[in-house]
Amino acid sequence: MSGDQRPQGLVLEGLERRVGNNLVLDNLNLGVAPGECLALLGPSGCGKTTILRLIAGLDRPSAGSIHLDGVDITEQPPSRREVGMVFQSYALYPHLSVERNLSLGMELRGLPRDRVQQQISSVLELLQLTAQRRRRPAELSGGQRQRVALARALVRQPRIYLLDEPMSNLDAQLREDLRAELRLLLCGGPQPVVYVTHDQQEAMGLADRIAVLHEGRLQQIGTPRQLYQEPANLFVAGFIGRPRINVLPAEAGRIRAIRPEHLELVEEGGLEARVLVREWQGASQLLQLDTPHGRWRMVCPARLEVAESARVGWLPKRELCFEAGSGRRLAWRNTA
Amino acid sequence: MGLRSTLRYAVLALLLVGLIAGGALWAQRRQPVIVTALMPAPFAQATEPIVATFNRTHPDIELRVNRGPFETESISDLAISSLLLGDSPYDLLLMDVTWTPKYAAAGWLAPLEPLLGEDALAGVVPGAQEGNRFDGHLWRIPLVADMGLLYWRTDLMAAPPRTPDELMATASRLQRSGRVRWGYVWQGRQYEGLSCVFLEVLRAFGGQWLTDSGDRVELGNPGGVAAASWLRQLIDRGITPRAVANFAEPEALQSFEAGDVALMRNWPYAWAELQKPGSKVRGKVGVTTMVATSEGATAATQGSWGFSLVSQSPHPREAALVIAALTSPEVQKDLARRLGYTPTLSALFEDPELVAANPVLPELRRALDHTVLRPLSPLYAQLSDILQRQLSEVITGERQAPAAMERAQRLSNQVLRASGVGTSAVEATP
Amino acid sequence: MNLLLTLPALLLLALVFAVPLLRYGWLSFHADSVITGLQPVPNGGANWLRLIEDERFWQNTVQTLRFAGLSVALELLLGLALALLLHQRWRGRTAVRTITLLPWALPTAVMALGWRWIFNDPYGPINALVQALGQPALPFLSSPASTWFVVVLADVWKTTPFVALLLLAGLQTIPSDLYEAFALDGGSPWQALRRITLPLLLPYAFLAVLFRLAQALGVFDLVQILTGGGPAGSTETLALYSYLTAMRFLDFGYSATVMLGMFLLLLGLTTALLLGRRWLAGGRA
Repeated sequence: MSGDQRPQGLVLEGLERRVGNNLVLDNLNLGVAPGECLALLGPSGCGKTTILRLIAGLDRPSAGSIHLDGVDITEQPPSRREVGMVFQSYALYPHLSVERNLSLGMELRGLPRDRVQQQISSVLELLQLTAQRRRRPAELSGGQRQRVALARALVRQPRIYLLDEPMSNLDAQLREDLRAELRLLLCGGPQPVVYVTHDQQEAMGLADRIAVLHEGRLQQIGTPRQLYQEPANLFVAGFIGRPRINVLPAEAGRIRAIRPEHLELVEEGGLEARVLVREWQGASQLLQLDTPHGRWRMVCPARLEVAESARVGWLPKRELCFEAGSGRRLAWRNTA
Repeated sequence: MGLRSTLRYAVLALLLVGLIAGGALWAQRRQPVIVTALMPAPFAQATEPIVATFNRTHPDIELRVNRGPFETESISDLAISSLLLGDSPYDLLLMDVTWTPKYAAAGWLAPLEPLLGEDALAGVVPGAQEGNRFDGHLWRIPLVADMGLLYWRTDLMAAPPRTPDELMATASRLQRSGRVRWGYVWQGRQYEGLSCVFLEVLRAFGGQWLTDSGDRVELGNPGGVAAASWLRQLIDRGITPRAVANFAEPEALQSFEAGDVALMRNWPYAWAELQKPGSKVRGKVGVTTMVATSEGATAATQGSWGFSLVSQSPHPREAALVIAALTSPEVQKDLARRLGYTPTLSALFEDPELVAANPVLPELRRALDHTVLRPLSPLYAQLSDILQRQLSEVITGERQAPAAMERAQRLSNQVLRASGVGTSAVEATP
Repeated sequence: MNLLLTLPALLLLALVFAVPLLRYGWLSFHADSVITGLQPVPNGGANWLRLIEDERFWQNTVQTLRFAGLSVALELLLGLALALLLHQRWRGRTAVRTITLLPWALPTAVMALGWRWIFNDPYGPINALVQALGQPALPFLSSPASTWFVVVLADVWKTTPFVALLLLAGLQTIPSDLYEAFALDGGSPWQALRRITLPLLLPYAFLAVLFRLAQALGVFDLVQILTGGGPAGSTETLALYSYLTAMRFLDFGYSATVMLGMFLLLLGLTTALLLGRRWLAGGRA
C-alpha cells in the first residue's frame, strides 16, 4: 500500500455507485472515527442504504475507495470485511435457533467451540436473551428478534457496526427504550458505528454526527446541533427540525425561513394568521396557521392563549436565509 | 263479441290442438330406432359410406357409429368400462376374436342364432368361422378376416422357405451376402402379438397350447420348448435383431419396408402398406403361409374382427339387422376393393374383380385354410399374459426356453385350476 | 360453526377417497370375476393370501419402488439444479422458464410414443447417431436392464419441470438478505447452498417428493405405452398389474386387492416420510 497514513476508523473517499444510467451515490467523502456513531439520514431513495451496502461489500462502488482502520477494503469480499451488520428485516436464519444464529458466523470462521459458546453466552446475557437461547426466530417477539439481530452483530466482535434502520419495525415505546440501549452497547467502543435511518429524532438521539443525504448527494455532515442551527441548505433546514420550518416566498434572490418554535404572537407587524388546527402536546401546543404565505406551523407554550385570529412575528436573528436558486444558506444573520 | 264468434274461435282452437297432437303422434311413429355401434377408429372411418347407405335405405333405423380409439386393447377397455356400468351406450361392438368367450361368459353379449339363424355363418370360409361360437351359442359375425402371414422378398429368393431350418438357412445366406441386414423380423414385444407369432411357431413344431379338452396347458411339451428355442435361436444367430424384443407390427413393417429384411411375419394389412410409393420393396414382396416342420403343420393365427350384440341392447332385432347388413357380401366386397380388407365370405375370394385388385387374395384364401385359434376361453387374457411374459424372458435371454415353457405351463394350469376350469368344457370349434 | 364450514370439504373428501377405498376393501374379500359371472362371492381372505404368495405382485412391488425411488431422486436432483439456474438472473430466463415447462404440459401418451420412437432400434434418432459414429445400434428397449432405465428417463424428462417449479417457488420465498447476512458471516456461496438454501427448501422438496412419489408409485400410462410392462415383465408396475387384472382378466376381486396392496405401500412410505421429516426438523433445532 502507499505510504500515506490514513486514520483509524472508516474513511470513504470519492465513493460513487451507478446502477445503469442512474447515479445512486455521487462522490461521497466522509470519515467515521473509532467509537463514533454516525447516522446517515435522509428520505427513502437518498442513497443511505447504498452507502451501508458498499461498506459491507454487498454492492460494489463504481468509483472511490473504502478504508477501514487504514486498510483499503474496497475490493474485499463481504466475508472478509468483519463487519457487524443489523438488517432492517433482521435477516435472522429462520431454520436455526437463536444460539445457532449467533454461532454460525464463528463456526464458519473456524473458532474453537468453547470460545464460541462463551462469547454467545455473554452476549445473550447482555441482551437478556438467555431464556430464548434455543428458540427459533418465529417464536420470538419483534423486540426479541431485533435484539437477536443486534446480538449477532455484537458476538462476532467486528471492526465496524452497520445498522440499517434497525428499529423501523418496532413500536414507538420499544424504539425509545432500545435507542438508549443501543447507544450504550455500540457507541464509545473501538469500532465506528454507521446507523442508517429516516427518522431524524432517532438520528439526533443516537448519533454523534449526522450525515444528511438527498438524491445520492451528501448535503451536510455535522453534530445534531450544527444541523439544526446552521443547516447548509434549504433541504437540510426542512428535513431537520420538527415541525417543519416555515418558508417565506423568495424575494430578491433570497429565501427566508423561520422555525415554528421561533414564531411568537405580536401586536403589530409580522403576518396576519388564522388558527386552523390546535394540537395540544402537553407542555406545548402546535398550531396550524393560515397565513398569506400559505400554511405555517407554530409551536408555543401550552398555556399561551391564542385567539382565532392572531398576528405572528419573529425575531430577525432567528431567520435563516438561503440563496433562491441553489438553496445554499447565506449569512448566519440576516441584515435586511 | 257475440256467442257465434266465440264458438267459431273455440272450434278453430280445437282443430289446431288436434292437428298438433296428431302431428306429434305421427312424428313419433316415424321416429327411427337408434342403433349405436362401437368400432376402432380405422373401421369407423372405413365404414362411413356404408353406414350412410344403410341409413338412407333403412329409414326406420338410425345407425350411429361411435369412433373408438386406435388400439385394439383400448377399444376393449372402453367397451368393458361401459358394460360394467350396466348401462351400455352401445348396441353393437366390433370385437377382436379373442374377446368373445370372455364377453360371453361375463353375460355382456346376446346369442345371435335366435335372431340370425343357426346358419348365419354358412357363407363364411371355414378358417373365419372359428372363434365365433362358445358354450353352444353364436356370439359374433365376422366382418374382416385376419391371419398371420409370411412375407418374403421375391427379388432375393426364388421361392419362400417352407421349414424353420430352410428359413434360417435362406436368411443367413442373404445376410452373409450382404443383401439384407437381417433375415427375419416378427413381433417380439411383450403383448398379444407375441402370442400370435408363437402360436404359429408352436404349431409348426407340432406343439399345442391348450389340450383339446381345454383343461390343461401343454407348453412345456417338446413342441413348445422347440418353438420357444427356435425364436431364441433366430436372435442368437443374428437372423432376427435383438430389438425384436420391442417390435410390434409397425416396427417389423418399418424394417421390412426399408428393405433391410428378407422375411417378415405380419398380418394382411402389411401388403397394401408395402405397395405404397414410399416403400423400398414395392413390387418385390410375396405372401405365403408360415413355415412348419414335418412333425407340425403350417398355421396362421386367426385374428378377425366381427360384430357382437350387447345383451343390454333395447333393440336387438334392429341391431341384428344392422349386423346382417354390415357383414353382407356387398359391404365386404366394398371394403376389400376400397381398402384391401380381407373378406370372410368364401365367394368373395373368387370374385374376379377383387382378385384383379388384390393379387395376393388367393394366398390369403389358402392361409385361411390353415388358421389356428388362440385358446377359446374366458381366461384367455390371463393365459396369453403368462405366455407373453415367459416368451419375452426367452427372447431377452433372461430365461432358457425349457424353463420358461415349463413355468408358463405351471402358471397357466394354476390359473385354470383356481377358476375351476377342467370340468367345464371349453368348446372346440366344430 | 367451524365444523359446519368444513363439512362440505369433508364430505367431498369422503366421497372422493373413502368411498372407493371402502369399496375396494369390501371387494378384496370377494371373488368377483368372469368365473363368478361378475357377481361378488365372499371368499374370506383368499385374495390376500394369493397376494402374499403372488411372486408377480412382489416383483412388481420391487420394480415399482425401484422406478419411483430412482426417478424421484433424479427429479429432485435435476429439479434443484434447474430451479437454481432459473432463479438466477440472466438474459432469456423467462423464455427458458417457459420452455422447461413444456414437457410437463405434454400428454403422457404422446410423450411415451415419442420416447418409443427416439429409442427405436435401429431407426430412432439416438441410434441414427450411434450408427453414424460407426457403432452398432443399441437395443435400448429390448433388454430389461436398459428398458427400465429408459422408463425412468422418460419420467424424469416429463416431471423434472414440475419439481423445478415447486422448488423455484420455494427459492423465491427465501429473502435475499439471508444470503447477505450469511456472506457477512463469512460463508461462501457453496456453503450458503448447504446451510441456507437447502434447509429452507426442505419443506418444498418434501412436498415435491410426496407428490411425485404418489404419482410415480401409481405410474401407468407411461409404462403401458412405452413398454407394455415388458420385456419379460421387467417394467410392469403395480398399477399396470392391477389394471390388467381388472380390465383384461376381468378379475375385480383380486384387482382390488392389488390396488389396496399398492395403497398400503404408499401409505407406509408417506408415513415414513412424515415421521422422517418430523425427526429431521426436531434434530435441527
